[in-house]
Amino acid sequence: MQNPLSFCNALRAPLSHPGWQLAPGLLVALAVITLTATGVSALLWQAPALNPAELWQSRYLRSVVSFTVWQALLSVLISTLLAIPVARALARQPRFPGRGLLLRLMELSLVMPTIVVVSGLVNVYGRQGWLTGVVSDFIPALQWNLYGLNGIVLAHVFFNAPLIARILLQALEAIPQSQKRLASQMGLRGFMLWRVLEWPAMKPVLPGLLALVFTLCFTSFAIVMTLGGGPGATTLEVAIYQALRFEFDFGRAALLALVQLSICGGLWWLVMRLGEHAKVLSEQRFSQPPPRRDNRGRARFCDAALILVFAVFLLLPLLAIVARGYPGLATLPMFNPQTPLFQATVKSLAIAVPAGLLAVIATLAIVAAGRFPRAKTVTHSAGYLPLIVPPLVLGTGLFLLFRPSLGVAGPGMLLVAFINAMMALPFILQLVRGPLASLNQSSRQQADQLGILGWYRWRWLHWPRLKRPLALALAYGVGLSLGDFGVIALFGSPSAPTLPVLLYQQLGSYQLVAAAATGLWLILLLLIVFSLAHVLTRTARLRPFARPQNLSVMDIRHA
Amino acid sequence: MLDVSGLGFHYPTPPEQHGPKWQFDFTLSPGECLAIHGASGSGKSTLLNLLAGFLHANSGSIRWHQQELTPLPPWERPITSVFQEHNLFEHLNVADNIGLGFHPGLKLSGAQKIEICAALERVGLAGMGKRRPAQLSGGQRQRVALLRALLRGQPLLLLDEPMTGLDSDARHILHGLLLEQKRDGVAIILASHDAEDRQVLADRVWSL
Repeated sequence: MQNPLSFCNALRAPLSHPGWQLAPGLLVALAVITLTATGVSALLWQAPALNPAELWQSRYLRSVVSFTVWQALLSVLISTLLAIPVARALARQPRFPGRGLLLRLMELSLVMPTIVVVSGLVNVYGRQGWLTGVVSDFIPALQWNLYGLNGIVLAHVFFNAPLIARILLQALEAIPQSQKRLASQMGLRGFMLWRVLEWPAMKPVLPGLLALVFTLCFTSFAIVMTLGGGPGATTLEVAIYQALRFEFDFGRAALLALVQLSICGGLWWLVMRLGEHAKVLSEQRFSQPPPRRDNRGRARFCDAALILVFAVFLLLPLLAIVARGYPGLATLPMFNPQTPLFQATVKSLAIAVPAGLLAVIATLAIVAAGRFPRAKTVTHSAGYLPLIVPPLVLGTGLFLLFRPSLGVAGPGMLLVAFINAMMALPFILQLVRGPLASLNQSSRQQADQLGILGWYRWRWLHWPRLKRPLALALAYGVGLSLGDFGVIALFGSPSAPTLPVLLYQQLGSYQLVAAAATGLWLILLLLIVFSLAHVLTRTARLRPFARPQNLSVMDIRHA
Repeated sequence: MLDVSGLGFHYPTPPEQHGPKWQFDFTLSPGECLAIHGASGSGKSTLLNLLAGFLHANSGSIRWHQQELTPLPPWERPITSVFQEHNLFEHLNVADNIGLGFHPGLKLSGAQKIEICAALERVGLAGMGKRRPAQLSGGQRQRVALLRALLRGQPLLLLDEPMTGLDSDARHILHGLLLEQKRDGVAIILASHDAEDRQVLADRVWSL
């Protein structure tokens, strides 16, 4: 009889030692934690006199903190109140025309360059905006001002309502098929359906999701920079930026950064204690739901109206960007290396592509190491830390630490790419974790027994499942960095701007046609990046003639 | 000869919760089939997982021809398992799924490729090498899983409800393949609720 040891040693897979899975991820996680700790410590160290009493003594600081909290709470509340009915309507209407496109658009909202969208919002809701003009005709007494709390909350709702709706829809679609069938059979609808099926499905994701959206609104920078209306509508992030860039008051910057850190950190500590987390990006497609009683007749009409209004709300600013930007972009010598647009594009890509690659590599390493129980705490912390420590706080610390040596060129840009990559980590982790975990227990055991380990495991089992999510993750990483207007504002140079900075400069100097062209170009660049990711990983679709039981649509997609 | 003695296992639970504890003692000769049955939670799958190395025993030993297997990881044990489902990797075609039994990196010789084609033909799946598992029926998928297990050439086969949900034709094909393996000296442990499977294949039946 064959000797098992001799048989298996001959087939030892390359890189199958567990250290190859554990060490890189552990190193990356420790690097993220160290860099964050260094940034925050540097901020504290450089602050000459930290005066916490300033927080309640200074009227300005009090108003900054209270406005930051207020606008974030209001944004979360309105976004959620809009997102829940939209998610329910989309769940009820799986065959609604254009539903797929709308869902893609909702996913993209996460990476849409803030400053470009803001310019679109101004074109629609600004004093001279399309919609403001129409509404003013009907309500002449309308006193609407986009700048200030109105605009900030509107922009936050634009970005976050689709995100919340998308995740809640995912939670609704994840309700077990058997339960949906039972509900369909019993004819549940309305409040009973909400109580029995929908609310229990949404409840577990809500704490993490709302904490995420609150953090995003709380730390929002570009929106407040562009739509904030003076000292009365300033958030902590903008106040930190002003303290650093214009007042050179490191003590105040450090104090504000600590306030921000404690509020965000406290919130996430609470969420982690609850043991909840939001799945930020969709990771699965689900099979066809059974027919239900509440998606026909009048209910269908109401759902369609709601979905249409929501789609228009998302599309109007984008259409405005296209309409305003096209004339400028069409006449621009795009490929002339001397034009500011060309140079800003090169600079943006030079930061965004390495940032995207870094984010994907770091994510893979962290996910691989996270499967070892002893590394779980470290990798988990590193994955969520960028949500707790806002980029401007981190950037401020590192800016202060490296101030004398870090200029606007090479190393400074590398640091920007690194911070951008870090900021993309929490989102990209969500994209990769699901497909990686989709290898079920039996398959993993089969793979173990067959010796499909190390490189072979990656090549034959993980890569086919991961190549699409990884390409999408890379696109998200590149997209988030392309639209970054926070970290780059600290390290960037006005003479060599990235695309968002160029757009901000053009808006500031009233070059409105050029600004619109830059905004449109940034959106187009984003679409090119996502299309490339899609095309490069496109595989032939299969038409199974006998779909066995327990096979999800996702399995077929992978095939 | 497989010699399992004092093989003890319990799932880690807090001391105040008295979780189930198992202890197994038995032997199995080459070419013999031991069928085990029992209610859910009686320990059938636990035993198979302990033998395969998917679970680590708290005590005892597993020996195959005097060689101690307990410290070995699953891929170094002379064992192949076939589960009730999810035996095949959905994104690989049938031939590649079987080929993994020969080499975990799919580095196959010409002879091995020919062997895979011949094996497929023998079980009525000729020409289906390029198909994906999603394009096969449940019975066809189990035949492919069993073919991979057999071509892997390990002397001990663990079957965990491999025929649940299959029609009688598919069952007869699998029975034939397994009886052939028994004749070739492969020892089989079969966990099954089905009396017909036990009657056709088992030399001994063990109720847990």
